[in-house]
Amino acid sequence: MKNPNTVIVQLENISKTFRTRTSFLTGASKEVVALNRVSFEIFKGEIFGLVGESGSGKTTIGRLMVKLETPDSGKLWVDGNYIAHIKGRKLKNFRRKVQMIFQDPYQSLNPYLSVFDSVSEPLVVHNVGDSKTRRDRVRQSLHAVGLSPPDDLFYRYPHQMSGGQRQRIAIARAMVLEPEFVVADEPTSMLDASIAIHIFNILSDLRKKFKVTFLFITHSLAAARYLCDRIAVIYKGEIVETGPAEDIIQNPQHPYTQALIKAHPRFRHSLKRNIIRSKGT
Amino acid sequence: MALLTVENLSIGYHTRKGFLKSVQGVSFSLAEGESLGLVGESGCGKTTIGMCLMGLLPENAAVTGGRILFEGTDLLQLSKTEIRRVRWKKIAMIFQAAMNALNPVHRVGEQIAEAILAHHADISEETAMKQVESLFQVVGIPPDRINDYPHQYSGGMKQRAIIAMALSCNPPLIIADEPTTALDVIVQDQILNAIKDFQNKLNVSLIFISHDIAVVADVCDSIGIMFAGQLVEYGTVKDVFNAPMHPYTQTLLASYLTLDKDTVHLNSNPGETPDLINATAGCRFSERCAFADADCSLNTPEWIEISPMHKTLCSRFK
Repeated sequence: MKNPNTVIVQLENISKTFRTRTSFLTGASKEVVALNRVSFEIFKGEIFGLVGESGSGKTTIGRLMVKLETPDSGKLWVDGNYIAHIKGRKLKNFRRKVQMIFQDPYQSLNPYLSVFDSVSEPLVVHNVGDSKTRRDRVRQSLHAVGLSPPDDLFYRYPHQMSGGQRQRIAIARAMVLEPEFVVADEPTSMLDASIAIHIFNILSDLRKKFKVTFLFITHSLAAARYLCDRIAVIYKGEIVETGPAEDIIQNPQHPYTQALIKAHPRFRHSLKRNIIRSKGT
Repeated sequence: MALLTVENLSIGYHTRKGFLKSVQGVSFSLAEGESLGLVGESGCGKTTIGMCLMGLLPENAAVTGGRILFEGTDLLQLSKTEIRRVRWKKIAMIFQAAMNALNPVHRVGEQIAEAILAHHADISEETAMKQVESLFQVVGIPPDRINDYPHQYSGGMKQRAIIAMALSCNPPLIIADEPTTALDVIVQDQILNAIKDFQNKLNVSLIFISHDIAVVADVCDSIGIMFAGQLVEYGTVKDVFNAPMHPYTQTLLASYLTLDKDTVHLNSNPGETPDLINATAGCRFSERCAFADADCSLNTPEWIEISPMHKTLCSRFK
């Protein structure tokens, strides 16, 4: 399925600096380097993991790819488009092909919109189909994320649903336009472990069914390993290591990747500690 | 004697749809210096138990049965004034949302000193600040950050400050409610080490509430698995991890992503949380259980003792 020759996303020496005003009166500002000469590529049909801690710049990369931010320097191509120059009709077409799933399903869904309105909104914005086709597309999309029977959910509101269901609605909303490329920014960090696995399995199925490419942003190497084909590890705005998921876990080269692996909670640790403890008492 | 004994505790919430039985017949005990982890998914009642121990249940909650014996007195019989004397001085809490638990317009050091002063009329402000300094040392915040404001702290530092605040009155029992949930792996590791560290040094008892079973395994001596308001398995971390008995515990352990095991595809159909307003007498996990038969959804499950320190609420082992 994966064709390593087709690159769908390419970043070349992308840098981005944010300016924050530190003084209200003098207007003095401070520069924060979010990304420093970041380069990597994502192949068509793969799930690519971007792993790093809070503040490492991983979300900024995701936002650049969907053109919610613009880079200060460097080149970025997504799905054949040179992002810096894209505007007007071409940009609208680009927005149809590239979608984003946000971290917090409690905030990313409009509480005043029913499930049907939320999921069909992208179709309305992009003027896709008549009302009957839209209903069918919404139904298919909800079905694809495992929410069935979909019709029962149409007129429910976000507050009537669990966190896992809300995130699945958000995924259905991202998938309804049948995008080529989807950025999933920590889609499970607000959810329980068993529900997180469920969401991962849904993303994995969507990739198989619709041949969609994913950028999966996470702070958990274990999650990236479960879901991704390849992983890039980002630290303080720089990519420190890129490679096939299993290689990164089994044979980490960069000290930061090694630290990430070491910090991951393990069952073995606790058992050892307990044995030592019971001997002492 | 145990520091804390919870017997048959039941708590519910009055909601528009009816009375929601959030916690049902939960019993456990905690010795001095022991740490107990309460694990379960969102809505299983683990935070409700923590809030009840602190006497901080919201207005619409009601305790419908049971006792909470702490140092020999039943906390549920205390008046509001009496419970205020216990709270923080005897039982303190490390809150979930560290980002919001500090007051943004006060310096961090002063906020912690305030907690000390509120409970000790005889201590001067200077002594309180001295104590804050030593607390900062225990939790690992550099002493020159004592006069900073919360927004100058990183997420991990704020969580450390919250821990320092919980330790400020030297309480025998600390409840930590998801203290690392908002943090990334490396900071989580540091905070867990800080918690293990103070627990060993100060010999406080700890109730650690989390949905992350691996985190609990890292910190606690014993573990209670909760599902839909009930404790379903209880034992030492070693017993529960080496020989999980309840089907729900087995699911939890199987769905945990590690870096050690070979990658396998995990089947997941988490299913819905049962209706806690019209809860039936049968086993609450039966709808999601792979081993369930017709009796499971009809008969009330009973506790089965596997060993003196390990028991489970499941009819399968009768």
